[in-house]
Amino acid sequence: MGKVKIKKQSTIIDMTAMSDVTVLLLTFFMLTSTFLQKEPVTVITPPSVSEAKVPDEKLVQVLVAPNGKVYLNMTGAKDSTQLSTETFRKEVLLDVYGDRKPGLTQKQVKEFCNLGTFGMPLNKISEWLNLPMEKRDEALKEEGGIPIKMSVKTTTEDGQSAAGQPNEFQIWLKAIRQVMHNHGLDDDLRGGHLVAIKAEQNCPYSLVQVVMDNLQTEKLNKFTLMTSLKQEAEE
Amino acid sequence: MAKKNKSRQKKFDTRIDFTPMVDMNMLLITFFMLCTTMLKSQTLDLVLPTNEKVDKEEETKIKESDAITFILDGNVTTDKNGQQTSTDSKIYFYEGQPDMENFTLNDIKFGKEKDAIRDMLQKRNKELLVEINKLKAQWKKGEINDSIYNARVIVAREKQAADINAKRPIIIIKPTANACYADVVRMLDEMQINEISTYQIESLNKQDSTLYEHKVGHALGAK
Repeated sequence: MGKVKIKKQSTIIDMTAMSDVTVLLLTFFMLTSTFLQKEPVTVITPPSVSEAKVPDEKLVQVLVAPNGKVYLNMTGAKDSTQLSTETFRKEVLLDVYGDRKPGLTQKQVKEFCNLGTFGMPLNKISEWLNLPMEKRDEALKEEGGIPIKMSVKTTTEDGQSAAGQPNEFQIWLKAIRQVMHNHGLDDDLRGGHLVAIKAEQNCPYSLVQVVMDNLQTEKLNKFTLMTSLKQEAEE
Repeated sequence: MAKKNKSRQKKFDTRIDFTPMVDMNMLLITFFMLCTTMLKSQTLDLVLPTNEKVDKEEETKIKESDAITFILDGNVTTDKNGQQTSTDSKIYFYEGQPDMENFTLNDIKFGKEKDAIRDMLQKRNKELLVEINKLKAQWKKGEINDSIYNARVIVAREKQAADINAKRPIIIIKPTANACYADVVRMLDEMQINEISTYQIESLNKQDSTLYEHKVGHALGAK
């Protein structure tokens, strides 16, 4: 009576192949990923049939929160010989800030260059940049927002209406124009893809209108609205 | 001695257990998957007229009969956090000049039903749409390739733009401050879908406000 021989099978599985696959996947995700931009408010953009993609360079994004607060985000060119994001931000900030008091330190300027979306009244920027990282976002939400209210038109004696003092949003736009111009990027300035407005789909039009009015005042008549893709069923 | 030592040397197993490596990789993959945005936002181009003074001669004249004015309206509520939302979207329209005698302002809705905006605009822009649909059918069957299709569509559009007698709707979109932003974008979408080349966004003028007041029963902005 011979016993049935059971082959002893090894329970060890060779994980090398599995490892190969995971590393490949990992590489794919690392190379294709663009990280979610941190924004002070999350907005859901309205759906549209438009298929044009948001450019990933030379973009000024205007974020309109549902409570009417406005934030900015600036991205420079990808091409390193052109205006980089850091230089773009630095020069715009210095242009806007001018010789306001208190002056900005080198460190504060450097901090600013590495930030994402920002939006603080000019007199609070210095204070805001001194805050630790964690508190900055909160401050943006609580007391942030670039002052954008259109200034009242003044009428001079001979009946000509002149635009009032530019508000801070317009000062930022002016600085952006100036910096773009200095770097010979006038074409991008006029191309109509520089400014993108990102607003919540259910917000009243008046919030967006203020931004548009300001852009028009600064002669930026061409811009884009950020939307999400909607599939339009064929007839 | 030396010989003895050599013989004692153990044979090492060259296999390495990859399980922890796989574990770690999986974790990293999960991280990247959750942190990435695969979908990029879309954009909608918009060109606004300059707000600088334009000479009377330079102003483009449009045929009254071709113009349709849409007034978008809604209801704004503000919650305790100051978040504003616009609901109850309503759309009114009039054709040509505002009717200052009877104050006619018609209701219309988004959608594809009969008498909704899509239907109305399609009828208005029939000539061009028929032509483009013909091209589209050809393109789907594979009779013409992408580049020919695109070129022909552009030719068709230009032909309509150049022809003064062509029936070509001109749309004026007038959102009130309370209108929903999504509705404005939707309206712009309709322009794209229906191949309407001439449209613009404006704010309401005095006549529009009067029409609005008669229609709704209260003045613009008052509630």
